[in-house]
Amino acid sequence: MSLTGRTLPKFDRFYCDGYDLSGYSRTIGPLEQVYDEHDLTADMGDTVKGYLPGHLQSNVGVLNAVFDNTATIGLHALMATAGAMRTIVVARGIRAAPAAGDPAFCGQFVHKGYQPDGSSGAAYATLPFSGMAANAATLQYGAWGVLLHENAVRLVGSGANTGSGVDNPAGKQTTHGGFFIYEVLAGDGAATLSVDNSASVGSGFSALSGATSGSIACAAGVSGVVALAPTATVKQYLRWQIAFGAATTVTFVSCFVRGFGIEP
Amino acid sequence: MSLTGRTVTKFWRIGIDDVNGTPREVPFDTISPVGFQYDEVELTAWQDQVKGYLTAHPDAAIDFGGPFDTTASVGFAVSAATPALSGSHTVLYPINGLQTPLAFAIHIGIRAFWATNDPVFGVIAASATSGYLLTKYTVDGEKYSARVVPFPGTVPAWGTAIIT
Repeated sequence: MSLTGRTLPKFDRFYCDGYDLSGYSRTIGPLEQVYDEHDLTADMGDTVKGYLPGHLQSNVGVLNAVFDNTATIGLHALMATAGAMRTIVVARGIRAAPAAGDPAFCGQFVHKGYQPDGSSGAAYATLPFSGMAANAATLQYGAWGVLLHENAVRLVGSGANTGSGVDNPAGKQTTHGGFFIYEVLAGDGAATLSVDNSASVGSGFSALSGATSGSIACAAGVSGVVALAPTATVKQYLRWQIAFGAATTVTFVSCFVRGFGIEP
Repeated sequence: MSLTGRTVTKFWRIGIDDVNGTPREVPFDTISPVGFQYDEVELTAWQDQVKGYLTAHPDAAIDFGGPFDTTASVGFAVSAATPALSGSHTVLYPINGLQTPLAFAIHIGIRAFWATNDPVFGVIAASATSGYLLTKYTVDGEKYSARVVPFPGTVPAWGTAIIT
């Protein structure tokens, strides 16, 4: 019995709107995926109560962080204004820093509060979220996906990604779309981030249609979501991809959340 | 008096279909009461000396939770074998909210790894009209919590056969 998949929250990383806030973060969660249960019992015909799932409540929970007013990149500078939609990736490392293939909880969530608190002596901040934003591009999908590119720099000289890709935990291609999400943490010009897919591990990769950022000006604070149609085919293996324009260096995180037919 | 039927939870096993309909065993460390809980309808008349009830429909939802785990899926261990655990995350997040019934069963081993003829509760073989649905998969820190409910028209049952 090989149990290599257990981990601890200290290996989580929190990315928001193109910034890595892990250095301030203490806890995040619960990472909630709960469906309304509708009782569809036919009282005269059914022996036992039966249910069907309705709408999904998808929420990243509450971020508890160390209060920090560092200029430009500090928690206070970036998150003090609540009430906006935030593009978030919570990457879960498996007993190590997150790497490609690890799970990631992703989406665009409503940031509803920012509450510094010094009652324990230390100055912390609590940042609650209320759920998926009603205008989110991710509204058709759940939030659990896979990390394609961990927080790392790519240089123009490195060329395109020729890696073997990451497998779908379900071990097959899916035909229910999904969404591509990216967080650019640093960069110096234009580049295009995207996703490749393949039916085979290590070969046969081609661009996943529609899963591209288009040319974006890469710099800290850039993030985005590109949702595919709910009927799009996504092959079994995925990998990150980058095409450099004027940029020579880009540091980014990218993920893909696959639909499993749960969504409409 | 022979009391050979008692046991402890380390011999319990959860079996649940993955997104491909293949039974998997996931790690868990907490579970709600297993079995039926009937609605009680009180039908006492003023003239009665004692309150009287009838049972209406039972509920058979089950909440469980345990360690978050991304281990790759493996086959469900056969009767009397050492449990073979698949990752809880690997199995559960793709089936959350699915509208297709899944096999789901609690296997209660009696002071040994579960073996045929030991108790089982749930639906051991799903069909298009019978099984369980997962309606919750929430991760908090290093643990997950989940909930399954019967698909409408399903009659979970106590039995002694393994999930298939």
